[in-house]
Amino acid sequence: MTDRSKKISISRRSLLKGAAGVAGLAGTGTLLSAPYVHAADPKVLRYLGTAVNEGDEIAKKCLADTGIKIEYITATTDDVTKRVITQPNSFDVLDTEYFSLKKLVPSGNIFPLDARKIKEFNNITPVFTKGELPNGKKIGGQGTAPWKVLYLDGPNSKTFSAAPTEYVTLIPTVYNADTLGIRPDLIKRPINSWAELLNPEFKGKASILNIPSIGIMDAALVVEATGQYKYADKGNMTKAEIDLTMKVLTEAKKAGQFRAFWKDFNESVNLMASGETVIQSMWSPAVTKVRSMGIACTFQPLKEGYRSWASGFCVSKAVGGSPKLDWAYEFVNWYLSGWAGAYLNRQGYYSAVLSTAKANMTEDEWGYWMEGKPAKNDIKAPDGTLMEKAGAVRDGGSYDDRMGGVVCWNAVMDENDYMVRKWNEFIAA
Amino acid sequence: MAVTIDNSPETLAPAQSTLRKMTTRSIAWLQAGPMTLVFALFFLLPLVLVVIVSVWDYNEYEMIPALSFRGYTDTFEGCVANLPELCTILKTYLKTLKLCLLTWALTLMIGFWVAYFLAFHVRSKTWQIVLSLLCTIPFWTSNVIRMIAWIPLLGRNGLVNQGLVGAGVINKPVEWLLFSEFSVVLALVHLFTFFMVVPIFNSMIRIDKRLIEAAYDAGASGWQTLVNIVIPLSKPGIVIGSIFVITIVMGDFVTIGVMGGQQIASAGKIIEARLSALQFPAAAANAVILLGITIIIISALTRIVDVRKEL
Amino acid sequence: MGDKRPRSFYILALFFTAYVLFLYGPMIAIYILSFQGPDGGLTFPMNGVSLTWFGKVFSGGGIVDIGAAFKRSLALGLVVMVITVVLSVAAGMAFRKPFRGASILFYTAIASLIMPSIITSLGIALEFRLIDDFINKHAADYGLGWLAEGHTTAMGLFTSGLGAHLTWTLPFGLLIMFAIFNRFDGRLEEAARDLGATPWQTFRHVVLPIILPSVVGIGLFGFTLSWDELARSSQAIGSVNTLPLELQGLTTTVTKPDIYALGTLTSAVSFVVIFAALSVILVLQARQRRQGSDAGKGMV
Repeated sequence: MTDRSKKISISRRSLLKGAAGVAGLAGTGTLLSAPYVHAADPKVLRYLGTAVNEGDEIAKKCLADTGIKIEYITATTDDVTKRVITQPNSFDVLDTEYFSLKKLVPSGNIFPLDARKIKEFNNITPVFTKGELPNGKKIGGQGTAPWKVLYLDGPNSKTFSAAPTEYVTLIPTVYNADTLGIRPDLIKRPINSWAELLNPEFKGKASILNIPSIGIMDAALVVEATGQYKYADKGNMTKAEIDLTMKVLTEAKKAGQFRAFWKDFNESVNLMASGETVIQSMWSPAVTKVRSMGIACTFQPLKEGYRSWASGFCVSKAVGGSPKLDWAYEFVNWYLSGWAGAYLNRQGYYSAVLSTAKANMTEDEWGYWMEGKPAKNDIKAPDGTLMEKAGAVRDGGSYDDRMGGVVCWNAVMDENDYMVRKWNEFIAA
Repeated sequence: MAVTIDNSPETLAPAQSTLRKMTTRSIAWLQAGPMTLVFALFFLLPLVLVVIVSVWDYNEYEMIPALSFRGYTDTFEGCVANLPELCTILKTYLKTLKLCLLTWALTLMIGFWVAYFLAFHVRSKTWQIVLSLLCTIPFWTSNVIRMIAWIPLLGRNGLVNQGLVGAGVINKPVEWLLFSEFSVVLALVHLFTFFMVVPIFNSMIRIDKRLIEAAYDAGASGWQTLVNIVIPLSKPGIVIGSIFVITIVMGDFVTIGVMGGQQIASAGKIIEARLSALQFPAAAANAVILLGITIIIISALTRIVDVRKEL
Repeated sequence: MGDKRPRSFYILALFFTAYVLFLYGPMIAIYILSFQGPDGGLTFPMNGVSLTWFGKVFSGGGIVDIGAAFKRSLALGLVVMVITVVLSVAAGMAFRKPFRGASILFYTAIASLIMPSIITSLGIALEFRLIDDFINKHAADYGLGWLAEGHTTAMGLFTSGLGAHLTWTLPFGLLIMFAIFNRFDGRLEEAARDLGATPWQTFRHVVLPIILPSVVGIGLFGFTLSWDELARSSQAIGSVNTLPLELQGLTTTVTKPDIYALGTLTSAVSFVVIFAALSVILVLQARQRRQGSDAGKGMV
């Protein structure tokens, strides 16, 4: 793109639409992206999120299907939440996790969506709405479980509603259950409990996630697994429980248990692939990535269960009342209509509306990813690279086995302030 | 700026002298104005906002615009109660100062000699520029990428360990090369030595070569020349480089975080943890504390050598 | 120059070489790993050898448009470079005379260095939120309704982003100017003035030529600082990212050796450009020497 084409496109638009058009154009940031040749207003949505869910293919397919152009604003998890607070005008659609809602909603920067305008809303998996599997089995709800923060009291409310209302904070799109990733080739024995994370056998070769609110939950799972203490809610500890858990973590740190704490997807892959760590809390697709490099790595189901997370779409307050709101609904509806869900499922995540995703996957793919069946053919990644050979079975088994084994959800605690202070103390120890 | 007075000062009438002073002053203001404006808009105003936020109250989920010094008092939690054991903030600052001091000493040692080589031994401007560029090129590859590359270099199976094992220096890979204080200081020295080189080099090329020749002619040894001429005359450069290194390391959390495996405390990391938890008032309060402490260090430094003298 | 090099030259040359090797340490890992095979990762072991990742850099695609981010960062870096040089030289001149507020400006610059970048970034973001709110609420009152209509944010690469970068580069520029003007011989300027030169002429023909190489250095420094800036931009860049931010965003998902390939290419292009420039200069100097003018201008 040359400067000249920018200028021409701007002056043409200003002739067409007057100065207001220019102000709008400059404001939306399209000034710096490719100029449009369509006479009609392009439907552009600025999509703020981490790279995890930002597929190039998704944006292309969305443009082809709906005419909406998705402009990704990629940032780290921390930066995404910070930007919601500091610059709510710089994005339209936000891709974030349920646990951050406790902090984002009070800021007043989130526009509640109308459940009635979401076509597939009633088909969203009951994991989100009721806390149970499609087959009716209840799942663990410790921490900031999605159904606790899914609804608001009213259109301008900042308080969550326990009972369903039509005002929805975050439309779920993708979720998963996290557990420990291990290097079976270096550990050489079965692992079946969270307790192993702090087992001195793996001194200097273990790692946890560097997000305090999540790291402490992993530690709590260890504490429970070793029988030291039973928490009422691992995702919402009392001060005494925080002290106890931090003590366990501090002792492990002082003994040199941890090689490093990982902060992003890529770090977790590098630590495992390079052999710096052999056991660490991990995301399913990260394990798949390590394995695709020809390195043995297992997403290890554990008897105590999984720690789950879920993310989805919010809309910025600034979008409310503008035509962008309609596009946002159109985009969310498209996202839940199946193609994107299938795309996510094929990466090892789970999609929010199972029925539409299933319609977009082959029976073999569905069997491998969702039902825990051995793959009949080679399993390929969305970009066509080989992920698993025919005959492989997914770690942790079926959707029901994995999501059914969830015991807690990523969380923000009521004692968050105290917890962060203790975390800083832990780092300084 | 049109006013030019080319009479020599001695012959000037007092009125003219005052006029000249006023003109110089207004010219100085014109020259310093633009930079002052940029700082006012993009640093001082935001700083005021940060200071305001630092005395706000907050709960687990949001900021509350009510006066509260919680951000400050919480920071010093346990500093009296836990005595004689050190509280978190003191431990953290001691660790930060230690890393800062090590980095400063090393960057100064390396930076001084690199600058010395460039200023006194490389005599052509062309080669000075070429060699400076050679030292700049690595920084044009984003630090995000370079940070990742330390693992394959220093990790358990990294190039250095493989090399050492291959050469028979060690039997099995050493662990302390990565995710340790060693790797933190190494990365900081790697990043910031050039920040020391640039000002020292600029100070050194101002040194009149005839001075050094005169010293040699008078029978001074290389060492004597260095201690009595080169070091004193490059002091401003040394101080400026020190200001760069100290200020950046005191506030750093990215390098210390990544190279320390997120397990080494630093003043910047406390702020980052607070920010990530969206506890802005606490983060702002910690930033104000850090600003205060570092300003004290720097003003002590400039008291020893005033970099603004002899301009 | 004919005279033999002292022993200290060789020792220091060796020291300098060691420093350069140290600087290039992580780069060497990057250069090697950018030739990873198609299934290779960001760490050793090498999984085959290929040029796949260089192809990926040129073919574009992927989640973020690296090419566009590259151009954005380059443009921002160049603007920052020019502003840094001009403002630093001007302010550096100002500091050679006493003026009221000199101390305040000096300590402001120092404070701007100390303030953790994320906090500065946050402050700028807060400031621009107030500006946005003000425009949305009050622009119409001043007959500027068109400004508010469709206004989303005043933040952007060349507003808040540029400001954030300048708070980072200007302190460096200013302090390096102090080193440059340290013991600067004021008699040269007096002589020029005595000969009737205006202050501008004095600056243009006397001061500038002397400090020019150092000023080029400040430009280079300013550009590099801006090019590699991360934390200060993070909250102050608006809805488009700089290259480092895009790269950092990329690390939140599967990161492939194409970012290494980008590093290798950046270095390679820089080397080629510098080598070409150097050759031209050397050839010109050699020609000059042959023609007998400026004879004896030694190289190193």
